[in-house]
Amino acid sequence: MSFLIAQSLINGVILGTLYLLMAIGFTLAFGVMRIVNFAHGEFYMVGAFCALIGVTWLGLPFPVTLALTIAVAILLGALVERVVFRPFRNDELSGMIASLGLAMILQHGALILFGPDPQAFPALVSGVFKWGALIVPKSRALALGVGIVILLIFYIFLMHTRHGRALRAIVQDQEVAAVFGVRLEIMYPLGLGLGVALAAVAGGLMAPLFGVSPFIGATPLLKAFIVVILGGLGSIPGAALAAILLGLIESFTSSFVSASAADIVTFALVIVVLLVRPAGLLGRAEA
Amino acid sequence: MKRNSILAAASVFALISGGAMAQETLKIGALVTMSGAGASWGNGMKRAAEMAAEDVNETGGLDVGGTKYMVEVIAYDDSYKANEAVTAANRLVFEDKVKYIIGTVGSAPILAIQPITEENGVITMTLGFTAQALTADKPYTFRPNPTTAEVAQPQIDWIVKTQGVKTVGALFPKDETGEAIAKDLAGAYEKAGATLAATEFFERDRVDFIPLLTRIIAQGVDAIELDGNSPVTAGQIVQQARDLGFEGVILRTGGPATQEIVNVAGEAATEGMFVHSAFDPGVESAKAYEDRYVATYNEPMNGFSPFFYDGTKMLFQAMQDAGTVEDTEAVKAALEGISDYGGILGTMNWTGEDRYGIAHQLDSPFYIARVTGGQEEIVARCTSAGCE
Repeated sequence: MSFLIAQSLINGVILGTLYLLMAIGFTLAFGVMRIVNFAHGEFYMVGAFCALIGVTWLGLPFPVTLALTIAVAILLGALVERVVFRPFRNDELSGMIASLGLAMILQHGALILFGPDPQAFPALVSGVFKWGALIVPKSRALALGVGIVILLIFYIFLMHTRHGRALRAIVQDQEVAAVFGVRLEIMYPLGLGLGVALAAVAGGLMAPLFGVSPFIGATPLLKAFIVVILGGLGSIPGAALAAILLGLIESFTSSFVSASAADIVTFALVIVVLLVRPAGLLGRAEA
Repeated sequence: MKRNSILAAASVFALISGGAMAQETLKIGALVTMSGAGASWGNGMKRAAEMAAEDVNETGGLDVGGTKYMVEVIAYDDSYKANEAVTAANRLVFEDKVKYIIGTVGSAPILAIQPITEENGVITMTLGFTAQALTADKPYTFRPNPTTAEVAQPQIDWIVKTQGVKTVGALFPKDETGEAIAKDLAGAYEKAGATLAATEFFERDRVDFIPLLTRIIAQGVDAIELDGNSPVTAGQIVQQARDLGFEGVILRTGGPATQEIVNVAGEAATEGMFVHSAFDPGVESAKAYEDRYVATYNEPMNGFSPFFYDGTKMLFQAMQDAGTVEDTEAVKAALEGISDYGGILGTMNWTGEDRYGIAHQLDSPFYIARVTGGQEEIVARCTSAGCE
């Protein structure tokens, strides 16, 4: 039994970190642009395909592929902000609907380009780390390690650079930030680009674990949504807390009760949090 | 005199145009899954119908009672969902006016559209594994592919006997298909002298099976059964089970999906896996079909596809035997009357009277294969009586 507990703990933390990568980008895009980006999951899918193309078609090493994926995603995100979201900057509902349309365009674009069948992604590493009875698959350890490094880099960028501070200022109050000289026309595309890049990098990291197909974006989007609602829309520490919490809840209830119970518990928790703390665990109430 | 020359001109015209028959269009619906996890099955079915149609169109059309029909396949996607299947079935039956539907892929979708198709005398050829798809009060539904109920027992007997498997763990999707297969398999393993000791049900869009597999592996099972899962999901389960260090037997007693599983999980993880195979590349016509499929669509062929090619061809033959494309009751009777059909996979006959109360289930030979280097290698040949 103690083996199962420890194993579930490890599984949960790994899962939570993966959710966090998705959720932070989602919450950042919301914080900056006030648009719920339903296309976020599709950028995860795009990232996975970028990784697939880099590794299997071009034969590039995985780190290079990942770096290229990030670059492509930032550019794509900035482009999307300019073309799709800018006209809806003060119109949240239309922006949301535009993001739904964008999601469909991306998904069906991938369907036309790559077909519906899952694509083979070669395993980067194989085998497991073992401590006694405890097992961590090396592939997941790798994803976890890279994920944490990327999150740390992102954290340093956000907290200790000029652009990072500007982004945080916009999240807090756009008008005041603009008055203090934050250039919105640069920061908006940058904010969405970075958010999208985090989703894409999550896709690239997960591709060897969960496979690549045009339909893989839906589940991560749902998880990111749950995490962000739990943690509080726009709150990055809240997302971190909620992601780990969600990972642990899923892992423990799946391992000790059943997979369906995990979904029930997750959504029950979402409902309770929304009832008791409508702004989320660490979210700010709307002024 | 004038009349005679008109007649002569008409007969000359008829000779040039290849027969004195009017040419009409026969529309066939393909209501299959073209997006999501079941898309590889759905495309395999749709393409089977298209290739069967191509065959008759190349010869100038299907000759039924002196009229040549060019066959047109109208395809709709149900995304493996019952509600979308109903929408598509309504369109096919009431707007496109089709009398024949190849589909659906899923069990829930076929049960959902049967009230429409049976009521309107529309003949369906479904892949859906549920036993409820074929019953005596649903005379217009046929199933050209064997399901778990047909193939599980002989294969499980063989695996349990030769691999020394005592306890088995399995994951199933939480829907009609999954529940039906779980029940069939539990019975089959018990009969073979083993137990389906650990089962888990999950939502179909799940991709992370590590927590569920942790639980199953912790119960010390000898084997993991993949039957009932879509090709992609099965691949993910294989990969993640091996990731967790599971070294026992992995097997799939139904549903051809080897190519997709290898694609997702990789060659290393699938090495030594036992799979059900309906397809012997040693059979020339089967190999020729696969080659044609790959050449036409530039994708690996799903193992269900040949059944629906044969099924569609049998449907065409039934129309010719009945001498009508409109009177589906006559076509149904003619289809039921076909025996020892020489299909591309072998000799086919209708069966299922005992199991379903109606002989609308196609019986065909099948195999157990071992996956080596990503390829199937046949290790046992089976009939519903047993494997050796």
